[in-house]
Amino acid sequence: MNLDGMKTYQDDDEVDVVVVGTGAGGGPLLARLAARGLRVVAFEAGPNFDSTDFTQDELTAPRINWLSERISGGDTPTAFGPNNSGMGVGGGTLHWGAFTPRPDPRDLTLRTETGVGADWPIAHAELVRYLVEVERDIGVSGPTPYPWDAERTYLYEPVARNAPADLMALGCERLGVRATDAPAAMISRDREQPHHGLRRAGFNLGSIHQGDRFGTKASTAITYLPAAVADGAEIRPNSMVTGIERDGSGRVTGVTYLADGVERRQRCAALVLAGGGVETPRLLLHTGLANSSGLVGRNFLAHGAAQVWGRFDEQIRGYRGYPSALITEDFVRPQDADFAGGYLVQSLGVMPINFATNLVRGAGLWGKELMAALDDYRFSAGVGMNGEFLPSEDNLLELTDELDEWGLPRAEISLSPGENEKAIERHAITRMTEMLEAAGARSTRVVLRSAHTLGTCRMSIDPSDGVVDPDGRSHDIDNLWICDNSTFPSSLSANPGLTQMALALRTADRMLAG
Amino acid sequence: MMPVCTVFFLPGLGLDATAAAPLGEALDDRFRLVPIEFAVPAGEPDAVDGSVDALTRTALAAIAREADGGPWILLAHSMGGKIAAAIAAHVLAGRTGPDGESGLFGLAGSVLLAPSPPSPEPMSENRRVRMIGWVADESTLDEEQAQEFLSGNIASSLSDADSASALQQLSRFPPSLWRGWLEVGSREDISHEVGTLDLPVTVLAGDDDDDLGSTAQPALLKDVYPRAHFVPLPSTGHLIAYERPNEVAKAIVELWDTVIEPAPQTPAEWGRLIASSRTDVEVRSNFAERAVPDDATYAPLALTEDQLATLRRLADLLVPQPGTARIDLAARVDARLAGKPGDGWRPAGLPDDRVAYRLGLDALAQTWPDSPADQRVLVGRLVAGEEAVAAFPTAELSRRWFEDVRVDLVQSWMAHPASQARIGYDGFATGGTAPEPVGFSELAAGRRESWEPRELGRLGDRHENHDQEQHERDDA
Ligand SMILES: Cc1cc2nc3c(=O)[nH]c(=O)nc-3n(C[C@H](O)[C@H](O)[C@H](O)COP(=O)(O)OP(=O)(O)OC[C@H]3O[C@@H](n4cnc5c(N)ncnc54)[C@H](O)[C@@H]3O)c2cc1C
Repeated sequence: MNLDGMKTYQDDDEVDVVVVGTGAGGGPLLARLAARGLRVVAFEAGPNFDSTDFTQDELTAPRINWLSERISGGDTPTAFGPNNSGMGVGGGTLHWGAFTPRPDPRDLTLRTETGVGADWPIAHAELVRYLVEVERDIGVSGPTPYPWDAERTYLYEPVARNAPADLMALGCERLGVRATDAPAAMISRDREQPHHGLRRAGFNLGSIHQGDRFGTKASTAITYLPAAVADGAEIRPNSMVTGIERDGSGRVTGVTYLADGVERRQRCAALVLAGGGVETPRLLLHTGLANSSGLVGRNFLAHGAAQVWGRFDEQIRGYRGYPSALITEDFVRPQDADFAGGYLVQSLGVMPINFATNLVRGAGLWGKELMAALDDYRFSAGVGMNGEFLPSEDNLLELTDELDEWGLPRAEISLSPGENEKAIERHAITRMTEMLEAAGARSTRVVLRSAHTLGTCRMSIDPSDGVVDPDGRSHDIDNLWICDNSTFPSSLSANPGLTQMALALRTADRMLAG
Repeated sequence: MMPVCTVFFLPGLGLDATAAAPLGEALDDRFRLVPIEFAVPAGEPDAVDGSVDALTRTALAAIAREADGGPWILLAHSMGGKIAAAIAAHVLAGRTGPDGESGLFGLAGSVLLAPSPPSPEPMSENRRVRMIGWVADESTLDEEQAQEFLSGNIASSLSDADSASALQQLSRFPPSLWRGWLEVGSREDISHEVGTLDLPVTVLAGDDDDDLGSTAQPALLKDVYPRAHFVPLPSTGHLIAYERPNEVAKAIVELWDTVIEPAPQTPAEWGRLIASSRTDVEVRSNFAERAVPDDATYAPLALTEDQLATLRRLADLLVPQPGTARIDLAARVDARLAGKPGDGWRPAGLPDDRVAYRLGLDALAQTWPDSPADQRVLVGRLVAGEEAVAAFPTAELSRRWFEDVRVDLVQSWMAHPASQARIGYDGFATGGTAPEPVGFSELAAGRRESWEPRELGRLGDRHENHDQEQHERDDA
């Protein structure tokens, strides 16, 4: 994004707020604080990309991902890298899929409803006010009326359906499952974005996980961050925060960071960590702060993200068009569930390297069978789930004694699905397979995977039960806040990006309220 | 038989497109020989001034006109050799050509004949001054001068017909180009712009040539073309295309048969799409580099030779490539292991990727069975985690390492443009830096747009008319 003429601060200036990270959490918060006149600086470990840095070459596209090594354990080790991280001004929103369902109210009270999982200490109605605001700010398209929420309206008509969406719609119709165009942070009409410029609609690119040059997809780098800069915020790319400084009373006074290999300090009156579900707990464990609960790094959550692929007679070529253009929320609480919570289903088209990687990792293919499955790529349409994942003590992030390129200990993350996750996955795979078969698939194949990094600094009312309070403020240090996916107390069946942006505006408001 | 490869011939100073004639006869009909004309008289619209830039632009435009989307080779003599280096650099960088929009794709290698190097061409000052003097009054070479040039550049006499043709070309060669090359082009240093070209290249040079002869060439070119194969020709002067047409043809055939043909070819229709303005410069560059045939003598960067050999055996089983063409997937994985960055994670309990590869491959080599059937059984058990590579503490860790190996190999296969064509993926031709933003407008199953390769479906309704015109142009 354009940072020319941006206001800048000296390391010695005591700014009001330092924000670490510029993704779905850091971006909206920065904009809100700047709009209210606060002196704010955001640090971003990754570079500031120009829109022309986003490439259609899938092999080299992961330069927008966090590629510093993470160590992955448990029964189903999380594949990080392109599947699970962002790095650069815009964070994860540079490469996210922009699929923007709103969280279902039942998911926020899962524990009350079922006795397992966690309740959110935030009222759904309040969250919705912020969700609506975010949808307006970034430009979300979707169907009005929305079958599962009579109250809801969308700003723009849905983006075009591609072939996998057509097939999922057909399959659902034949099975009596409700399905409709997916809500997406993709504009379906050209839009003038304040402080950014013209965003263009209608190119139907399937490669949006590699970044989007035309601005069809919303990222914080073309929405909240330009607004923040216009209101006087500074963004410092290529600046990795490695330490937190405090005074005698334990309050935060500044951060240390590495830029071009040089260690520097920035003073601040308040600090917001928005480095995401892995980097924020890593920094807190490294500095030993805000962990009186012992829960920093605990309850790592993901989403069950199994996919089913069908082989059809026609060339589907699902790499065309918005990759997840169809949704059903019919399985958020399935009638015949033998589990707590539920899942969403979306239609799927993916890029070839992603497809090949998933066939190996998620379906165990090799040799002739693998090559034949790749030959079927063009005839393949997929559907995928995003399923509730219950918090568990055994799923956690710890520090290792191996150091990364900035001298910080690398994180080891363990993830093993429990019985509930397995039951959800089984249910989803059955339903998704039926959908594809009803749509005419000749054969189907299951690809197992998980997605997203949540929960490692969860919010709670009771200080012994979480790391931050419902506003995002540390239970231990009153001028330290967290604003990213690590604060999620439960995973929800909705994908986390939109909810994260709403939480960011809310945390900013709470900070401004004093 | 249909030609399978185009050979673009770039003649040397004093000669023109007619100089390709002896080669045309020597080459078999798998090759389509297309000579490029630099010798356009001054005053005509496409006259060239003798700077490297002007000569390169002329050649690029001609190649763009004649390219059919399939593979092509540069065959360049003397002056043409320097231009060939500039062209190769241009193509491997994916750059757009003189029209500012589309580029080129399909360069598979070069055969260079006593080439002028990217650095200033070594030439005695006396000789340069004397030759410039021949065109002092903007006249063409006279008979005597042409004869002096010819006999000074050959080791034994040519046939009468060839000799007559060469003399004729010399005596009509545009004086401005003659002077421009000697004063400017030959002296230019484009080594920096050209850099290192990772291309299969054969350099033929005569033992009886001076500055550009067989003893001089390795020093001039080995850093430019690390893969260059230098072939000295005994009793040969500077005019190799005339003196040794059969050796030249042999070099081309050998390059094709042993290096290029064994590598996967991107189908012509797909090659044209990659060259077109729809495809981004950077993507075109990445594809151009990946499409270059692998080096059979590749020296591993992260692994040992033995480890690379084991990885090649695994690659054949894990990612068996269709047909007979082969990408050296193991070598490409080795290059990725040696470079930064990695893929962002590794399984707990395993050392970093490079170390894990070394340990794993060493251990596998110890127990690698002889019979293909046993090899397949072993690989199946490793994939399933039923058997452990001895280097790793548990079968599960061994399985996870092996999963990474499989992913790395299949990603290297998938990234090749021929593989993307094979599986029917043309999304690379959208979303880039094209003059106008380009994406998809036809999303339905079974349908395609007019710019898409025909195999990808029936034309969508709104694309029919446009496609009709396109085909008429293609057929014309
Ligand atoms: C492949 C993929 C597809 C996705 N698709 C969707 C989708 O369709 N819908 C959806 O809702 N969600 C999606 N998500 C999830 C979504 O991207 C995340 O929920 C969201 O980006 C999380 O926001 P965050 O603020 O927690 O972290 P991020 O957006 O990841 O931002 C964190 C930023 O902080 C920076 N940072 C970290 N540590 C430091 C440090 N110490 N110093 C300086 N900077 C630092 C990082 O470089 C990064 O830029 C997807 C995620 C992935 C990986």
